[in-house]
Amino acid sequence: MAGLTADERAALLDSLRRLLADRCAESDVRRIMASETGHDAALWRALADLGVVGLTVPEQHGGAGLGAIELELVMEAAGAALLPAPLLSTAIAAALLDGERLAALAGGYSIAAVAFAGRDDWTGRGDVRRDGAGLAGTARFVPDAAIADTILVTLDDAVFAVAREDAEIVPLPVFDRTRRLADVAFRGPATLIGDGTRIAAARDIALVGLAGEQAGGARRILDMTVDYARERHQFGRAIGSFQAIKHMAADLLLEAESATSAARDAARQVAEDTPARAESVALAAFACADAFVRCAKDGIQMHGGIAFTWEHPAHLYLRRARSAAQLYGDSDHWRERYVRALEVEA
Amino acid sequence: MTDKQLKAEVEAWLAANWRGTATHKESFGRDPRAEWLAKVRDAGWAVPRWPSDFYGRGLADEQARIVERAFAAVGAPGAGQDRSNLWANTALAHATPAFRREIVPQLLAGEVGMCLLYSEPGAGSDLAAIRTRADKVDGGWRVSGQKVWTSGAQIADYGMLIARTDWDVPKHRGISFFFLPMKQPGVEVRPLRQITDEAHFNEVFIDNAFVPEDNLLGPLNGGWGVLQTALAYERSVMGDAARGPRSGAAGPKGDHALIGLAREAGKLDDPVIRQQLAQTIAWRVLNRLNTQRAKAELQQGTSSSIMSLGKLAMSRILHEEARVRTLLLGAESLLEGAEHPRAEDANFLTLNAYFTSIGGGTDQIQRNIIGERVLGLPKEPEVDRTIPFREVRAG
Repeated sequence: MAGLTADERAALLDSLRRLLADRCAESDVRRIMASETGHDAALWRALADLGVVGLTVPEQHGGAGLGAIELELVMEAAGAALLPAPLLSTAIAAALLDGERLAALAGGYSIAAVAFAGRDDWTGRGDVRRDGAGLAGTARFVPDAAIADTILVTLDDAVFAVAREDAEIVPLPVFDRTRRLADVAFRGPATLIGDGTRIAAARDIALVGLAGEQAGGARRILDMTVDYARERHQFGRAIGSFQAIKHMAADLLLEAESATSAARDAARQVAEDTPARAESVALAAFACADAFVRCAKDGIQMHGGIAFTWEHPAHLYLRRARSAAQLYGDSDHWRERYVRALEVEA
Repeated sequence: MTDKQLKAEVEAWLAANWRGTATHKESFGRDPRAEWLAKVRDAGWAVPRWPSDFYGRGLADEQARIVERAFAAVGAPGAGQDRSNLWANTALAHATPAFRREIVPQLLAGEVGMCLLYSEPGAGSDLAAIRTRADKVDGGWRVSGQKVWTSGAQIADYGMLIARTDWDVPKHRGISFFFLPMKQPGVEVRPLRQITDEAHFNEVFIDNAFVPEDNLLGPLNGGWGVLQTALAYERSVMGDAARGPRSGAAGPKGDHALIGLAREAGKLDDPVIRQQLAQTIAWRVLNRLNTQRAKAELQQGTSSSIMSLGKLAMSRILHEEARVRTLLLGAESLLEGAEHPRAEDANFLTLNAYFTSIGGGTDQIQRNIIGERVLGLPKEPEVDRTIPFREVRAG
């Protein structure tokens, strides 16, 4: 997989940030949140034209041919803007698919949702099982399923593709409306598209991408909070001059920077497929989840009453942080996995 | 010179000259390896980033790291002092030309012992409130006052001293920075017994000691600025590393030492313990990842806010590791002595964690620094900032 030079990487991120500032401002996020599907097709088209939809799709299938390192950076920018779009689902699907399906994915013409349903995956996600040549059971909390034309399902040793008309997709009333989830019930028809060999890689892409999203979100809500603490005056002083606020901000900076370091390290270990891969992915999973939740929570506290209002964006970050912290296994799960990885070495 | 040529040159030099293994060296006091260090200095490997007419080679950071890696590969000390030698870097930046020529070569070879004369009983976090005075006399100054938390004072030849030289201006503006000769009648050193029952630190009583004109660093009354350079070096070193267990022998080592300890204690299967192990180890690993990223960003020329976080991170790491060690030991931590090395370690580390969370600027002061200098939050109003020091309330 061809990498980018530092300059090319910076240029890509710069274009993405400009697009997000223009098309995914807070008002856009709120509009998309309030919509029925939670999806903005025009924004998705713009992201596809920029090349980020097909970021990890190989070049011969119309993608940018990039890997985990670039995906993580793109997800930082997406997370900072609370981008409500199936970017991560698409990257995970790209790790599972082949051939023409990839081209449709990269072009933004096809959206695939992914349900991880193997025994090795996080718990509480339904009861999907083989049923003859097809699938039965329900996958729970599947991101982007309601807007997908294809649902990909990973079991322990097999990957299936299910057309949306062959599944019963029930959108869920979600706490974080920037990330839509659905339960997907399977009624038989499913196409076996692969054995288990790609599942681990797809899972790592999911975790690295989500870690990037969390790190980016943590940093943005921290920056917003610090900006506010410089502007807001009480007792004749900027509230950020009080140590009660300043010390919280310093602690949050440590959390946010550590999350960024963890997410980028995990991306590098995955991209280079090092022996430390499992360990660093697990570390990023809980470090980034916890950092984002803490930055979002404390950010509201530091803002005070203004951030208790619906109109203020801080709660959107807390909602996103809380959904991200559950999506692919919670922090306790990943702390346990981290110790398991370390035990092998120690 | 290309990287390859440089690497070949330094490796050839080491092959021709390096014969031994490094002996341990405390960061204070005279260095037992002075002869070797002088050789490294004279060959230009001690401070390769410095100019070639002053012990260096004028190398860019990347090439200087090639030198450091070559030294590290054979275990030879003495390279990379342009990053790590607090004393030499402070002297290089601020000493008079004559004093710099005299003292810097000795500092690079560890031929002189050094100590820090900053804190006072009445000036800890509020370091600018020092009351040690330096009064002008013929050829220099006479110094009187009391300093505390001084490591290596008994064996030091010089102390880096901050003293008040003007009492009629606000506190930050009346301080000067000196290299005070320690071996003189007016300087008395008394060991200070710490909570760990060790005595690494001393109190230093200074009574009418003399410091020559040439030993003033930076401008008269400009000592606060010099101090900031010196403190930045000290803090970055503290964030990178900290002392491990005192026994040095009890049990597993490294980032994941806690895993081995949990196994020894038969608690590695306890899911509650496993969660705490993961979190505690994670903090240490995250700090290392932060430091790596900061260094990489600095090399790329982008400024990094991460450097200032290391010391604060290390405080939490040390306190939490000690807590988890104690958790693993349970009642064994009630004991001490050579027959209970694991308890010794847990108890020592519990107490010594304060070395990092109080020393070199408390965690609370660090949070102020991070909030103000990194995040750009305004300072607290300071009632003593603009009035003459003479009028500041103390006690």
